[in-house]
Amino acid sequence: MAKARFSITQLPGFGLIAIVTFVMLYLPIIILVVFSFNEGVSQSRWEGFSLQWYQAAFNNTQVRDVSLRSLWLAVTASGLATALATLAALGTTRVGRFPGQTMIYALINQPLMVPEIVTGIALLIFVAAIKVQTGYTGMGYLVAAHTAFCIPFAYLPIRARLETLDHALEAAAADLYASPIQAFRYITLPLMIPGILAGFMLGFVISLDTVVITEFVKSAGQDTLPTYMLGQLRRTVTPEMNAIATLFLALSLVIVTAFFLITRTRGR
Amino acid sequence: MRQEIEITGLNKSFGQGASAFHALSDIDLSIGSGEFFTLLGPSGCGKTTLLRIIAGFEEPSTGVLKVNGKDVTGLGPSKRPINTVFQSYALFPHMSVADNIGFGLKMLGKPKSEIKATVAEMLQLVRMEAMADRLPSEISGGQQQRVALARALAPRPRVLLLDEPLSALDLKLRKEMQSELKRLQSETGITFVFVTHDQEEALTMSDRIAVMSAGEILQLGPPEDIYNAPVNRFVADFIGDTNFLTLRVKGIENGEAVLELPGGKQASARLPNSISPPVGARVTAVIRPEQAEPTAAGQGDMQAVVEAATFFGTDTHLHLLLDDAQGFVLRRQNRPDQPAPAPGAKLGLSFAPGALRVLED
Repeated sequence: MAKARFSITQLPGFGLIAIVTFVMLYLPIIILVVFSFNEGVSQSRWEGFSLQWYQAAFNNTQVRDVSLRSLWLAVTASGLATALATLAALGTTRVGRFPGQTMIYALINQPLMVPEIVTGIALLIFVAAIKVQTGYTGMGYLVAAHTAFCIPFAYLPIRARLETLDHALEAAAADLYASPIQAFRYITLPLMIPGILAGFMLGFVISLDTVVITEFVKSAGQDTLPTYMLGQLRRTVTPEMNAIATLFLALSLVIVTAFFLITRTRGR
Repeated sequence: MRQEIEITGLNKSFGQGASAFHALSDIDLSIGSGEFFTLLGPSGCGKTTLLRIIAGFEEPSTGVLKVNGKDVTGLGPSKRPINTVFQSYALFPHMSVADNIGFGLKMLGKPKSEIKATVAEMLQLVRMEAMADRLPSEISGGQQQRVALARALAPRPRVLLLDEPLSALDLKLRKEMQSELKRLQSETGITFVFVTHDQEEALTMSDRIAVMSAGEILQLGPPEDIYNAPVNRFVADFIGDTNFLTLRVKGIENGEAVLELPGGKQASARLPNSISPPVGARVTAVIRPEQAEPTAAGQGDMQAVVEAATFFGTDTHLHLLLDDAQGFVLRRQNRPDQPAPAPGAKLGLSFAPGALRVLED
């Protein structure tokens, strides 16, 4: 006898909890967006529509600088992380079992478990030592730190994608006279692309977002958008911050939408 | 007949030392050019491992594999003139049907015009011209099967390997593909090595069958021989339906055993060359359900009582109890004017000459 399918929507209070959850998640964001268009300085009293805070943000060279730095850092770090994660995913799913494989999985994913503050402090001490030794204070530290931090995030979707790929596909390619490189070029890589794009976008968003690691690693004049905003908030909160945050939000929406569209057409 | 594949002294084990698993033991096998050859056995018998070794996906632990007289042991799958139809089809999901079929030729570096011509020819061969631009996800399972066949045939391999290619299809489609495969084989003249666990599929399609169990080839021969003269209990049981009777040897005459049947009558049974049981010994004799005839009660070689009757359309299976309480299944062709006997009815059984056969074990 097949029982009637259990549906969570039938539980009492389901609707209420759902509504409360969505309100908690999105109401603060909606308020932030709304007040980015406020004419006055207040975050609580509506004084009329205006784009002046966007204008202020665009005219603020500091905001422009940190935004560009954030984007450059996110693209670079996420790109490097995705390349490394792709190799790691191929190594852990395509070469058969090897001793210490479970250990490798754990090591690759461990950064997801380590509290960011611990990573941050560790990097602070490590980077400080290198800075003293070499005298180099460029963006290399931030790139390295962000890359390392992004690898597990990029690795997960790529590995998930590879695991759904039938090994028989590569066997079939070899059977049809493809060399290992040709099999990778024509079969494995094109089928991995959705996973690689997902990994890149996840890494990009993580890098764009992280405050703690940047805060600990950056040298003077290397603020990213999040650390800059944090710094600004310590003084006065103007709707200029709302405007920047709203633009940030719009960017992430664009990325998520692009990702959705790409995986929908390429993911078959 | 020229030999396309020659396998000598082939062994394959997985793992090391005491925990090693012997997947294949001392396989010697020759497959003729243009033959439809079937490896038949239950799952785990080693038939797929043997196929993978022929394809080049696995290396034998010992032994030599020759294709067209050339030793290919140690060569990878891309270096052998052999193509495979995979059980899962393994069509490339991001390529159109035409690109799938042309992949092998492209990897061989054939010119574009030749690839195009061959793909068109292959599409026609498997009757898929209308689907050339579809993706594998946009065609049915039976159509994917045809594309997988066309893809493997397109580079004109010397040998086509088929790993249970019909197991994912429903019965009607499977029957259709069986005759389709026979047609493709005779049209292309390529040697087919077909792996299946379905004995009926093996019997209807093959020129020769190798029955495998536990990593060994138990019997090798044309379907008729395998069916009519199984060498041992496993083969007799695995191929078709069989009645096993434990009977006593009364004597040996002209190389045939005279056996005492339940009820006291005698019958002669064919003996395999390898054995000659002593008089008085108990042996296992086999007879196929359709090779005995029902007669009126009191006549024939044995007497029996009907326990149950199962209707199968073309025939009815009568489950009988013999005089000495051994069971016997009789396949009786259905005719409108002769209704099947009801349970409890008594009848006699007579054997077709040569139907009874003694087994080795």
